[in-house]
Amino acid sequence: MNKDMTRDEIEALLPFLANDTLTGEERQSVEAAVNADPDLLAELAALRAIRQTMQSDMVQSPGNMGLARLMRETKAQPKPSRPILWQIAAGVLLAVVVGQGALMIQDPVSQGYELAGQVSPALIGFAPEVTESAMRDLLLEAGVEIIGGPSALGLYKFTAIQGVTFEQASGILEASDLVETLEPPSE
Amino acid sequence: MDPHTQTLTKIAKGDSQALATLYRALEKPVYRFILSRLNDPFESSDILHDVFMEVWRSASRFEGRSKVQTWIFGIAYRKVIDLHRKRRRVDVTDDIPDRADDAPGAEACLSAGQDADHVRHCLSTLKDDHRSAISLAFFDDMTYGEIAEVAGVPEGTIKTRIYHAKKLLLRCLSGLVDRGAPT
Repeated sequence: MNKDMTRDEIEALLPFLANDTLTGEERQSVEAAVNADPDLLAELAALRAIRQTMQSDMVQSPGNMGLARLMRETKAQPKPSRPILWQIAAGVLLAVVVGQGALMIQDPVSQGYELAGQVSPALIGFAPEVTESAMRDLLLEAGVEIIGGPSALGLYKFTAIQGVTFEQASGILEASDLVETLEPPSE
Repeated sequence: MDPHTQTLTKIAKGDSQALATLYRALEKPVYRFILSRLNDPFESSDILHDVFMEVWRSASRFEGRSKVQTWIFGIAYRKVIDLHRKRRRVDVTDDIPDRADDAPGAEACLSAGQDADHVRHCLSTLKDDHRSAISLAFFDDMTYGEIAEVAGVPEGTIKTRIYHAKKLLLRCLSGLVDRGAPT
């Protein structure tokens, strides 16, 4: 048995070797333990048999009847009323613009302000033929929101939404044919 | 890339045909998961309907932190718990079962594990949280991380649940053979 894992840990992971989802070092450790222990090997065979039996057990689901019921009810109910992310982004942008205006009025001496801990935005430019719908789908997929623009050069400021890093978002944006320009946040 | 993300984006915009597409793709596994916990096809159909109505209403709240399928199974998971709570049948617990460490006979388990009636019976004897973990692992081939996301608990909790659920399941199957239940 692998000296880094206890017998209980090996046994807890055995079902995930049976369903073939275990990867990396955990898989190596469990496989090594199974190969060295006939009891574990027998248990693995039993678990695989149980899984096979469960997956072969035919279940009669609601199917088209359930779908028809679902479609009837969606017609009876209005479309999802919650704003989707780009609408939230537009709302946030409006609030920021209004807030900035109010602060500038209150403090005419100030040369502007900066929020503590504010993340500087990145810049993105789209190909000329890109539709708003395609742009919106891409932004949602990448987990980013437009917070300003377009500039005179047609660039938009954007930030990643909470839980998404710029690196994650830029991987999706860079791979898209819709994007012509992508500049990371300034330091 | 999650194959259902674009579909969910369309649903968020109110596209009912996209909802139909997602329903056709996921109806069977989600229904099977619900049925495995309720053991009542009529109730399970109603919960399945409620799950996809919630998808319709809440698609715009999906944040992309998990796979769409995992998110939907999470909705189903909570809806069954809500139903149990309404009936005061909640037994969501991580108690360590009695005699869980008895070693069942491997040959008996292998034999009984190939019988659908025996497996169904022994699954029905498990507590809901144990049955859910086994169902997601064996019906839907989820990783322990995905099961943890569905149930909204730490991965270690899922490993513990799987450990005990597996012991109880194997012992039940072994017991059926020992008692001479027809195979």
